[in-house]
Amino acid sequence: MKEALSLVQRLSAHPDSRCWFVSWNPTGTLFASCGGDKAIRIWGREGDSWICKSVLHQHQRTVRKVAWSPCGNYLASASFDATTCIWKKKNDDFESLTVLEGHENEVKCVAWAPSGNLLATCSRDKSVWVWEVDEEDEYECVTVVNSHTQDVKHVVWHPTQELLASASYDNNICIYKDEDDDWECRATLQGHTSTVWSLSFDGTGQRLASCSDDRTVKIWKEYPNESGEGDLLWKCVCTLSGYHGRTVYDVAWCPLTGALATACGDDAVRVFKEDESANPDQLVFSLAAQVTKAHSQDVNCVAWNPQEPGLLASCSDNGEIALWRIQEDST
Amino acid sequence: MNILWIVRFVSGKSMIAIHDTQVNNKRFTAVNMASNFSGVLQLTDLDDFITPSQECVKPVKVEKKQGKSVARIQIEDDGSYVQVNQDGGKKKLEKAKISLNDCLACSGCITSAESVLITQQSHEELFKVLRNNKTSASEQKVVVISVSPQSRASLAAHYGLSSSEAGRRLTSFFKGLGVHHVFDTSFSRTFSLLESQREFVERFQRKEQDSKALPMLTSACPGWICYAEKTHGEFILPYISTIRSPQQMMGSLVKGYFAEQQGLSPQQIYHVAVMPCFDKKLEASRTDFYLNKAETREVDCVITSGEVQKMLDEENVSLNDFGPAVLDTQCTMLSSVCGDEFLSHAGSGSGGYLHHVFTYAAKQLFGEEVKELTYKTLRNKDFQEVTLERDGVVLLSFASMYGFRNIQNLVQKLKRGKSPYHFVEVMACPSGCLNGGGQVKATPGQNAKELLQTVEDLYKAERPLAPEDDTRVAELYQSWLHSVGEERAKELLHTQYHTVEKMTSGLNMKW
Repeated sequence: MKEALSLVQRLSAHPDSRCWFVSWNPTGTLFASCGGDKAIRIWGREGDSWICKSVLHQHQRTVRKVAWSPCGNYLASASFDATTCIWKKKNDDFESLTVLEGHENEVKCVAWAPSGNLLATCSRDKSVWVWEVDEEDEYECVTVVNSHTQDVKHVVWHPTQELLASASYDNNICIYKDEDDDWECRATLQGHTSTVWSLSFDGTGQRLASCSDDRTVKIWKEYPNESGEGDLLWKCVCTLSGYHGRTVYDVAWCPLTGALATACGDDAVRVFKEDESANPDQLVFSLAAQVTKAHSQDVNCVAWNPQEPGLLASCSDNGEIALWRIQEDST
Repeated sequence: MNILWIVRFVSGKSMIAIHDTQVNNKRFTAVNMASNFSGVLQLTDLDDFITPSQECVKPVKVEKKQGKSVARIQIEDDGSYVQVNQDGGKKKLEKAKISLNDCLACSGCITSAESVLITQQSHEELFKVLRNNKTSASEQKVVVISVSPQSRASLAAHYGLSSSEAGRRLTSFFKGLGVHHVFDTSFSRTFSLLESQREFVERFQRKEQDSKALPMLTSACPGWICYAEKTHGEFILPYISTIRSPQQMMGSLVKGYFAEQQGLSPQQIYHVAVMPCFDKKLEASRTDFYLNKAETREVDCVITSGEVQKMLDEENVSLNDFGPAVLDTQCTMLSSVCGDEFLSHAGSGSGGYLHHVFTYAAKQLFGEEVKELTYKTLRNKDFQEVTLERDGVVLLSFASMYGFRNIQNLVQKLKRGKSPYHFVEVMACPSGCLNGGGQVKATPGQNAKELLQTVEDLYKAERPLAPEDDTRVAELYQSWLHSVGEERAKELLHTQYHTVEKMTSGLNMKW
C-alpha cells in the first residue's frame, strides 16, 4: 500500500443510534448526516474542526439518506416513514418546504439529477419514482417504474446526463432513461449474487461502481449497443473480490482523484486506486489504503468531499462520523 | 374454533417460508399471473409471492379436530403435508385456504394466484359449466356472456376484422359452444353514463355546502377503486362516483331484469363478462355484488379478451373461420345495436365518461350546447384537460388522468387542496381501458404501440349513440326501474366503497 488514511476528526453525530448516511454539499463547505434518531444534522467547519450547525426534525422514523441539490440550496431526506422531505436553505438554517408522499412504505434513497429539476426516490415497495420540480417549488410525480422485484436500496443519477441507476435486494441494477413520454428501464445489470447496496458513477459517467452483500465491488462500463434493439449495454469490466470480509454497504468514486472508497460491514474503510495502464475493458484496481477498525461497528457510508481532494467522511452503526485524509504513506 | 396464523415471509437474508409447496411450485405462474393486473394494483402489494413487504397476516379459521398430542409433519413428494403419529400412522392434512375475498378485505397483500382466481374466474370454469350443461340433466344453467366493446376491438384487431364483425362472429362462436345469450356491455354502460351525468349535476349543485362533493372521480376502473380503498380510504372515497361500472350494471340487468323476464332465479344463470382487464375479476368478487338471498354473484366469472383468444385457440378455431353472422333477439335484448351493427359511445376508449358528463353538465348547468370537446394535453399524454369558459370565466374544468403517476399527482393535489377540477375520469392503465392488461397481446414482431392504435381506431369506428337517445334504456327506466321502487333502483344502479384499515400487527414490523 502506497498511501494511508489518517483520521482528521471523529464526531459523535447520532448518539445511541445508527448514523446511516453523510452527504457533502456541492461546495464541500457543509455536510449533512442522518440516522436512526429521526434527525438530520448539518455540519460545518469552524477553525480546524467540524461542528454541528443545526439539527432538523420532521420525520417520524429513521432518516435513511440525505441529498443536496446541485445548487446547494435544497436538501432532500428519505425516511422509513414513507415520505421524502424537501428542505430549503434560509440564511444559516433550513426550513421544511414540502413532504413528498406516495411510496407505500420505507423510502430508502433520494437523489437529485444534475439539472436540479428532477428528483428520484426508491423504496421497499419495489418502485423507483421520478419527481419534477417547477419554479414554484411544486413537486409532481413524472413516473413510477417497477423494474425491480424486491426492495430498492439506492438510486443515483449520471453526473451529466438524465440517466438514472438503481440497486436492489433482487441483486440487480437497473438503468433508466426518459423514453417517449415515460421513463423506462433500458438496461438490467446482472452479476451480483446478493443484494446490491449502493452505486457510484465515476466523474465522467462512463463507468459505474456497485457494491454488494456478496462482498464484492463491480465496475460496469457502457458500450455502444450494436444489436440495434435500442437498449443500453453495460458490461462488468472488473470485480473486486477478496478484500471485504462482510457486506459492502457503500461505494464512492472521487470525481477529483478517481479513488474508489468502500464502506464495509467488517468495520473497515478502504480506498482503491485504478491502474491506468490496464486494458480499459479489463480494469485493474489495487488496494491503496485501509483502516481495518475505522469504526467499532458496521460502516454504512463513505463520501468524498467534492472540492478538497482526499477528504473522506464515513459513518457507522455506532452513531459516529469520522473524517479521513488520504496521504502518501511516509513509513 | 381454532385460529391458525399463516405467516409467509422472506426476512433479512434467510428465507422463511411457511406455506405449502404447491403454492411455492406455482411461483412462476403466479408471478406471471400477478403481473397481468394493472400497475396500480401491483404497486398496492398485489403480488403473489410474498416478499419482505408482504406477509399474509390473515387469521384463517379452521375446524378444530381432535388430534394426537405428539405428531410429526412430513412433506410428501407431491407437496402435500402428512401428519405422522407416534404409532407410525399417517394422515393427510387439510390445507388452510385464503379466499380472494379474504384478500380483498385485508390491507396486506393480495394473493392473486391463489386457487380462487384460477378456479372461479377463468375460461376453464366457463368450459366446465358448458360441459356440465351437456352431460347432466339436472343443474342446468342458462349461460349469459356480456362482451365489452374494448374486448371486441381488441379481438377485431387480432383477427383483422371490424369491431362489429368481431362482435357478431364472437356471438356465433359462443353460441356454438352452448352459450344461450351473448350481450354487449355498451348497453349497460348507457345506464352508467346517464347516472353519472345526473350524479355530477347533483354534486355540482351542492358543492358550496359539501366540500367533498367535487371533484367527482369516476368509478368504472376497479384497479383505481382498489388502490383508493387500500391507500387513501376515508379521504378519497367520498369523491368517487357511486355509479356502478358497466360490468356491474350488466350484473344488475342480467340477474335482475333479465332473470325476471325469463322466469329464472338469479342462481340459474351463469353470467360471464368479457373484459379488457384482469382487475375486473376482483370487482366481480366484491361482496357488494353478491346477492345474499340468491347466494350468487351478479357476475359469476370474468374472462379477459386474451383469454377469449386462448379459448378460440384451444378449440382450434379462428374468428376468421366464422361466416358473417346475424344477431338474433336472444342477443340484442341487452345489447346496444342498430340492425347488425354494434353501437358505441363518444369520447374516450375508457367509456367516454368525461365526454358525456361534460356535455350534459354544460347544457344543464349553463345552457351551453357543446358540439365538440377540445382536449388539452398537459404533463403527458395520459393527462388531459377540457374546460368550458364564458367571458373568460372558467365554468367547468374537467380532466382525464390515467396511469399511476397521474393518479398520484391527483391524490396529492387533492390532499393539498390544489386540484382545480370539477370532474376527473380516472383509469389505472396508461392509455386507459383499450390498453388494459387483459387485452390480446401483440404477436411476435408486432409493435405494441401500433397495435394499440389499431385497437383505438377499430373502437372509434363503431357509431356512437347518445345515452339519452337509447329508447330501450329509457323504456327500462320506465318499466323495470320504476316498478322496483326508488330504493331498490338505487341499489341496482349504485354501489359503495369501503376503507380498508391499515393493519398494525407486530408481524408488519420490518427493519
